[in-house]
Amino acid sequence: MTARGQDMILGLLFAGLGLAAAWQATGYRGASGTYPQVLGLSLAGLGLLLALKSLWRGARVPRPLVDHPGRVAVTVAIGAGYLALVPVLGFYAASALVAVVLPVALGFRRPLYTLLAAAGFMAVVWLVFTGLLAKPLPTGFWSGW
Amino acid sequence: MKTLMLGAAALVLGTTVAQADYPERPIEITVPAPAGGGTDTSARMLATLLEGELGTSIAILNAAGGGGSVGVTQFMQARNDGYSLLATWNSPITTVPQMQPTAYAPDSFVPVASTSQTAYTLCVAPAFPAETGEEFLAELAANPGRYTYGNDGIGGTMQLAAERIFQARGIETIAVPFGGAGETLQNFLGGHVDIYGGSISPVLPYAQSGEAKCLIVTSAAAVPALPQASGLEALGLGDKETLLWRMVLAPAGTDQAIVDRLIAALETTVNSPQYTEFLAGVGEVPNVVTGPALGERLQGEFDALAEVAQSLGLAQ
Amino acid sequence: MDLLTQIAGSVFSLGSVAAMLGASLLGVLIGALPGLNPVMAIALLLPLTYSMEPLIALGMVAGIYNGSMYGGAIPAILMRIPGTPAAIATTFDGFPMTQRGEAARALKIACWSSAIGGTASALALMTMGPLLARATLHFGPAEYFWIAMFGMASIGVLVGDDALKGLMAAVLGLLLGTVGLDNLSGIPRYTFGEPWLLGGLDLVVILVGLYALPPVIALAEQADLKGLSAAALKLGRARLGWAEIRGLIPTWLRSSFIGIGVGILPGAGGNIAAFLSYSAAKSASPDPDSFGKGNPQGVAAAECGNNADNAASMIPALALGIPGNVVAALVLGALLIHGLQPGPQLFHQNPALVGGFMAQMLITSLLILLVGGAAATRVFAQVQRLPGVLMVPMILVLMAVGVYVINGRVVDLWVMFAAGLAGYVLEKLAFPLAPVVLGLILGPMAEQSVRRALLISRGDATELLTRPISAVIAVATLALILWPILRAWQRRRHGAKAP
Repeated sequence: MTARGQDMILGLLFAGLGLAAAWQATGYRGASGTYPQVLGLSLAGLGLLLALKSLWRGARVPRPLVDHPGRVAVTVAIGAGYLALVPVLGFYAASALVAVVLPVALGFRRPLYTLLAAAGFMAVVWLVFTGLLAKPLPTGFWSGW
Repeated sequence: MKTLMLGAAALVLGTTVAQADYPERPIEITVPAPAGGGTDTSARMLATLLEGELGTSIAILNAAGGGGSVGVTQFMQARNDGYSLLATWNSPITTVPQMQPTAYAPDSFVPVASTSQTAYTLCVAPAFPAETGEEFLAELAANPGRYTYGNDGIGGTMQLAAERIFQARGIETIAVPFGGAGETLQNFLGGHVDIYGGSISPVLPYAQSGEAKCLIVTSAAAVPALPQASGLEALGLGDKETLLWRMVLAPAGTDQAIVDRLIAALETTVNSPQYTEFLAGVGEVPNVVTGPALGERLQGEFDALAEVAQSLGLAQ
Repeated sequence: MDLLTQIAGSVFSLGSVAAMLGASLLGVLIGALPGLNPVMAIALLLPLTYSMEPLIALGMVAGIYNGSMYGGAIPAILMRIPGTPAAIATTFDGFPMTQRGEAARALKIACWSSAIGGTASALALMTMGPLLARATLHFGPAEYFWIAMFGMASIGVLVGDDALKGLMAAVLGLLLGTVGLDNLSGIPRYTFGEPWLLGGLDLVVILVGLYALPPVIALAEQADLKGLSAAALKLGRARLGWAEIRGLIPTWLRSSFIGIGVGILPGAGGNIAAFLSYSAAKSASPDPDSFGKGNPQGVAAAECGNNADNAASMIPALALGIPGNVVAALVLGALLIHGLQPGPQLFHQNPALVGGFMAQMLITSLLILLVGGAAATRVFAQVQRLPGVLMVPMILVLMAVGVYVINGRVVDLWVMFAAGLAGYVLEKLAFPLAPVVLGLILGPMAEQSVRRALLISRGDATELLTRPISAVIAVATLALILWPILRAWQRRRHGAKAP
């Protein structure tokens, strides 16, 4: 898509967001509502302005959102999967898993190196957060044992 | 849904474990206030002493925000195995639910024990035309809408404490909410607000040096550290007492044997010389109310403050 | 004289020195891990020192505080991840320097700037503490409002090429800043019934996502399988020449001044100090366009500014008993536990203790040179030698653990992830992120201060301008807005004259 098209969509998106925020803020009493209303309307106005400006004289040059769509998709999907697994598997199990799986998914083919790096890294994280700081981390279903 | 089921499974597993050896692993205490504040400092001091008493390590988890409701709400998800406790002051339990929808009520917890209490105070600059609590209220009543008072936040216990007194005397003042007693003190010392409203300990050195005239405390009795301040009993407002007090609560369904163990440990710790000495330094006194009596105290305060919030138009 | 020897004796005792040294190292580490912050570390470690001498506890606080403020610069420079919120401005020029292969030089400059800012701040604390503390009392809500406005005006310097998008970013940040319980009315705004939103959007959670996730995705896109060689890192030979130091002196002076000024004001933190120092350096530069593209002055300004905030932020706490930030509150809490009553009499009743703590703030600032330089270049930078694809999950894990431990909430992980994805797309659309952050930081301060000021003045808005200090800051704000416009206009005129 061209920069012009992107900026138009971005402008309209923010205009919508601003209007929604302003509309939501009408429900807040007194000065608590005025301030977000002003902000919401400003955002809507600026968004529209951006959309119009791009329509008028936006650069019709392509501007790719991602350089390598495949790798971005893999990273985002595995990243989201990791966050979803943290409360289920527990922090350490899920983290160890992502540290091994993600490099492989991105095309890294040195299993021993990957495993060693992941193990070393997890050891450091464990030392700092559990050993030194004693911070409680999600334990997942292991805690029942 | 899955997490819910897992949580339920863990719950069942947790309660079947024998309580005889309690505690056998570290305890986590949630403090619904930022690190460094009054509630946090007293909880940390308590935790260090409790560690020796219970023979286990205790971690403090600060979860501040929403006048304490954020941390308490989070604590609602804690497991009732005795290893998750809440150390809070009264406001998040008895005051905040009046103003905001909360996922908890005063009876959502197992009351363990209250630990200490103190009053709020109202102070003015040395030049203020009043020398006693009675003169102070008369001056405020004679000049409706003239004076500003700083407080700990809108709808906070401190504001309600002051408004209960003002309402009883038909006084009209302008409430200016700040982020906490420290900020109120700064604005009071700088002359930006006329009246300091907040806990005693930050303003105490200024009362002693004469830079602040503390004329009222919100407890029924007077406070020895502030000789010029009248207690509410002396002003004929004894039933309008509002205190700042701290307590330890456990999640609903916590085993009674564990609660009893905790009560015993807290009674010893709170009354230990180290803790009472620490409390004296911050202008608080030890106060241990345990078990069901503590539950009644919470409910009673909740009902009294509901009345004030209603009449101030603050209630949700 | 007697007092001085007493202070020297206790500060250079074995326990105190060990506490300062160990805590400085730990501080650098904590600052370098995104999500971990000095407040958390100090809150966790202080109770362990309750039974020890007060100066051991305070030496530890000083070390962690100063060390972490520098530590935040390490991932900011190497990976564009601000280790602490105060290190955002460090990423602007620090990361481009790394991309140019000048990571070691950037780290060295950050190290020196942190030490100098911290030292200047400690000296201010020692010489003018009580005096400055009294001055802060003149700052009421109206003055705070103008300070927030002054900070917002520096957005003009940060917006980048497209002023319209910059403004939109700022308004977006302000709007995000309104989420949560409104302190002045008790009304929850944009919380959609979710209790975890009552406390507002956590700044660190948003920051970690917004600033750390986009470079992680970029790293994955490159899919680098080999890693940098030691030679490519150019770690060995990063010496600051005299010419370079001389060039940085004006920036250091300016940033120290700004950092101290912001530091003594309760409620305004190191992140604001770093932003203001950065924008001041850019405004003063003969070549403002080079900022954001790897200008060492930008790194120096930000790092000097945020460290200069540290000791100064202790001034209202030690001199008045008013904690200006959470670290100061923790220090006051520790003093209380040691049986010392904070307040104006603390200086007179315990001069050895207060003086000792001040000396520790000074010494730990200088320790940054020793600990920071070695730790940063020898250990942390080595991470860069790992293949990029291995770093991707590791940074993700660090982000997750850092964000989780702030509030102990799983939902924060998703907030972080969403902020990160939004940040990735917005950056590709040439939408500047810095104004979003600035709006998020300064918005609540501006809104609450102006509403408090209007409560006090009974709704009379002219009082915002008629108070002397307010008026001065208001004029300075106006000047800050007009300055770039004036310079651009002047340059255009000069350009027109030239053939």
